[in-house]
Amino acid sequence: MAKIVVDPITRIEGHLRIQAEVNGGQITDAWSSSTMFRGIEKILKGRDPRDAWYFTQRFCGVCTTVHSIASIRAVENALNVKIPLNAELIRNLIIGIQVVQDHVIHFYHLHALDWVDVVSALKADPSKTAALAASLSDWPLNSPTYFKAVQDKVAAFVKKGRLGPFANAYWGHPAYKLPPEANLMATAHYLEALDWQREVIKIQAILGSKNPHPQTFLVGGMAIPVDPNSQNALNADKIAEIGQLLKKAKEFVEKVYIPDLLAVASFYKEWAGIGGGVGNYMSYGEYPLDNSGKPEKLWFPQGIILGKDLSRVYPIDQKKITESVAHSWYEGGDAGVHPWDEQTEAKYTGPKPPYDMIDTNQKYSWVKSPRYDGKAMETGPLATILVAYASGHKGAKGAVDLVLGKLGVGPEALFSTLGRTAARGIETLLVAQELPKWLDMLVANVAGGDLAIHNGEKWDPATWPAEAAGYGWHNAPRGALGHWIRIKDQKIANYQAVVPSTWNASPRDEKGQRGPYEAALVGTPMADPNKPLEILRTIHSFDPCLACAVHLVDPNGGELLSVKVL
Amino acid sequence: MAKKSDDHDEMKQCSGTAGFWEERGVSRRDFLKFCTAMSAALALPVSLAPKIAEALESDSRPSVIWLEFQSCTGDTEALLRAANPTVGEIVLDVLSVDYAETIMAAAGYQAEEAKHKTMKERGGKYIAIVEGSIPTGANGAYCCIGGKSALEIAREVCGGAMATITVGTCASYGGIPAAAPNPTGAMGVKDAVPGATVINLPGCPVNTDNLVATVVHLLTFGKLPAVDGKGRPQFAYGKRIHDNCERRPHFDAGQYVEAWGDQAHRKGHCLYKMGCKGPETFHNCPSQRYNEKTAWPVSAGHGCAGCSEPYFWDSMTPLYKRLPNVPGFGIETTADTIGLGLAAATAAAFGVHGVVSAFRKGDESEGAKEE
Amino acid sequence: MADHKACLYEKYVWEVPVRVTHWVNMLSIVVLAVTGIIIGSPRTLGLSGSDYVMGWVRFVHFTAAYAFAVSVAARIWWMFRGNRYARWREFFPVISSGGRARLWETFKYYTFLNKKAPHEVGHNAVAASAYSLVFLLYIVMALTGFSLYAEHRPGSLMHVVMTPLYTLFSNQGMRLTHHMVMWLLIGFVINHIYSIWLMDIKERGGVVSSIFSGYKAVQRKE
Repeated sequence: MAKIVVDPITRIEGHLRIQAEVNGGQITDAWSSSTMFRGIEKILKGRDPRDAWYFTQRFCGVCTTVHSIASIRAVENALNVKIPLNAELIRNLIIGIQVVQDHVIHFYHLHALDWVDVVSALKADPSKTAALAASLSDWPLNSPTYFKAVQDKVAAFVKKGRLGPFANAYWGHPAYKLPPEANLMATAHYLEALDWQREVIKIQAILGSKNPHPQTFLVGGMAIPVDPNSQNALNADKIAEIGQLLKKAKEFVEKVYIPDLLAVASFYKEWAGIGGGVGNYMSYGEYPLDNSGKPEKLWFPQGIILGKDLSRVYPIDQKKITESVAHSWYEGGDAGVHPWDEQTEAKYTGPKPPYDMIDTNQKYSWVKSPRYDGKAMETGPLATILVAYASGHKGAKGAVDLVLGKLGVGPEALFSTLGRTAARGIETLLVAQELPKWLDMLVANVAGGDLAIHNGEKWDPATWPAEAAGYGWHNAPRGALGHWIRIKDQKIANYQAVVPSTWNASPRDEKGQRGPYEAALVGTPMADPNKPLEILRTIHSFDPCLACAVHLVDPNGGELLSVKVL
Repeated sequence: MAKKSDDHDEMKQCSGTAGFWEERGVSRRDFLKFCTAMSAALALPVSLAPKIAEALESDSRPSVIWLEFQSCTGDTEALLRAANPTVGEIVLDVLSVDYAETIMAAAGYQAEEAKHKTMKERGGKYIAIVEGSIPTGANGAYCCIGGKSALEIAREVCGGAMATITVGTCASYGGIPAAAPNPTGAMGVKDAVPGATVINLPGCPVNTDNLVATVVHLLTFGKLPAVDGKGRPQFAYGKRIHDNCERRPHFDAGQYVEAWGDQAHRKGHCLYKMGCKGPETFHNCPSQRYNEKTAWPVSAGHGCAGCSEPYFWDSMTPLYKRLPNVPGFGIETTADTIGLGLAAATAAAFGVHGVVSAFRKGDESEGAKEE
Repeated sequence: MADHKACLYEKYVWEVPVRVTHWVNMLSIVVLAVTGIIIGSPRTLGLSGSDYVMGWVRFVHFTAAYAFAVSVAARIWWMFRGNRYARWREFFPVISSGGRARLWETFKYYTFLNKKAPHEVGHNAVAASAYSLVFLLYIVMALTGFSLYAEHRPGSLMHVVMTPLYTLFSNQGMRLTHHMVMWLLIGFVINHIYSIWLMDIKERGGVVSSIFSGYKAVQRKE
């Protein structure tokens, strides 16, 4: 048994720390702590609710649109504002391309290095690599010369001896299983994806001025005017450019991401039995197909799956969502509180920095513990796809069955680290294929003469009731995101965000129930506790959106091992 | 492979080769084009392009430690959108990014070790890039990495750097965590580590072109570019958005957007009345734009938020109003309603006073006396 | 009463610079306030992109601002050169015990606590104190106004001279100050017009006409 400290966990957004017990080459328990707090919810109090999206957008710069969407939806819900169809469809395009771009970045730039040994790519035969790639897809860049060029580039870089961001990694770790050719192919696509993501995200710049942090959201609609006869509005030439970029997005996902995902997954099938987690899944559903605001009009359905039982999908009642601060550094009692009534008053009781260990019997995280009806919920692409699959969503069913068939595994394989990573690919594929349809819907609506992008009836705060409360949900790339707002005298009286990574990274609640990260880590094998690559795999499969750190803790208070570079 | 990174002799051997860029798939022609574009971005004479080329070509890639504190990672994401050169080129060829939490392969102890190695071996020569503010409340517990507080890390890393570039408004001036009531005692690098050599690149997030231009300036001239009174390079923050705005003619003409989606909005008229903060913000957004010059807020129909100015979260909000709220009054009370009220109250008070005075007899002065 | 009137004579109180700067201030304040309100919350008056409505409004505002600034500066200079009624001491009655007594008496008159109107050759003590505050507001307006104006050319002489103000104020804070002080000055104008009307009647020194002619009716020494 051993205690190991690894801090920080990299290739995620934010600051996270995990402490875990290792026993006989396996993790027997784990604790997840977030080590950063900014207090934006507190900063929001007393401000103009119409400005809230701009503040909440800064919760995260990676999933840079999601908190704006949830925020404007919350205020619209509180004030009962119905937005024009054009605005709804423009939001779908912005949300959709965010999902596609974000998932591809996650797979190649944040997650792939857990599976792909870049250094081993130097040993690959470019011709064999080309043959491997060609067997997977008809992507045009599958020639031996291309892979040779990539290999030379990597070789030249390695030769310089300063590996920059690739230094000190777990290269050569026994858990890396890919043959050199697959490593070279993935490395080539790592570099290609860097260029691709920069291109396709321009859709957000066209519709929303810039990315990260597009500046275009309005309570009641969007700020990008639509007018086919103006050069300062969304017109035919901008629509054509978006169409072209959507094509590029779809092509890369179909011909590079999905084939790579399947190829890599086929070497790591044992991970279909590791990292299961809490077994409860929640998806808020996404992509309204009209502006009615009804959950049944969402393209991805809303719902909850309990205990890995895919035969039943439960509806969500927002009143059953609570957050506990039993193990979080905030003021308040242990029992869960609904977000409308919550406060975010920091009260740090952890060790004074610099510290080595956090006592996990006490409060140990800046993340709260959200629960649905008292249960821990996993959220994210896996939840989205499982809920869609179980609800009989046609696209999801087809794609899931295809992926499971290709890997030769059953549906139970989905409840795992590999399942999470595969579900992210499936969601990307479905959204990338659906995006052009929403653009077509927008074009058809504009062609019909509807140029409205904003409903200004409730823009003036003088039209608001003295008090209002609302919530806004959004199924973000990382899962179920909810914002809850209370408005009083035209000002924000209370604001709470319950974000996907809060659900997933949650510490134990007042009853001692583990959060999804903690639960998923239990049972994970460790080839070498000094190089906790396996922890990174499972944690990264959630795509955490907060920076973090990992600790391995001995339940008997064993000695702290320093993790050394080998 | 980790061991190889220790091997600096090998690195030195392959430095200064003429074919450095060709080796990396960049043609000489493209490379010089980039250098010319760079000198334009830096507002330098084109004749300096060869000098920039020389600085980039020698293989003394400076080490970079990219620190993230109270950030949203938006500035790292912005870096991923860099096009001239691309992030791939920046990370592999232009710089040696030895530590950057979001992109680095190593984690935990190994990650921290890479940082310490750079600090030890390249003390005074590496560039620190900081993203996110530094909290000073609760002994620094509001942001800890590897068990160390952000303040402690910043003192160590920025103190020993050749220069510190703060990317984004949080690292420059405290940004959103420092917005009232500043729950965590957040501040920018210059305030937290007064002794460090700091250049501020505010913006929410930073415009990656300005970051690249600053780095190239540093490599080419061996010193930081000239700054304004707020520590920002003049080449990027030397002009007001309003004075460089494509919609300025509509401002001068007197044509304003009055409601979102109205005809004026569709025709690209001035967003002044929708709360645009272009008239009070210094930044090169109108010319440099974002995402390879695709757009910027005003071109896409939303006003400027003033994100490159210190404390803009408090001073530039509400977003959709021209003037800030008057402290102590409700958000619907503008300076003008207060002013009008004041004028009306004054008039009413004197009206009453006048009536009383008119009925008052025998209070006339006896006239001023010469003294 | 008749005796008093017989002893009155016309005394030259307000010299030319005092009267000229008074009227330049008045005109420029009116122009500045009107154009300033338009600049702060404009209406869409331009019909085509080649119009220059806001351009002209701003031009008028800036021109008036220069006139105002020169006038205020000239008046301040005259505080050290003019006669005793124009001198700086006149505006700070609070510095002498006699002045404080007159201040108290006049205050009592305004608040109906005292029946006798003040009798002053120059300004009455309350008015003079108010003017010192108003001049402070003038200076705040000129400084914030020119600081905002200089932002169109960072690095220019005016911008460099105003450097301390950019540290003292946030950019929006400067605008808000400039805006709020305008309303304070509008409040002052209302007060001023009422008070001179009242004093013209009660003080019987012909204060209204004096700012045109320079002469006030003053009792001869007995």
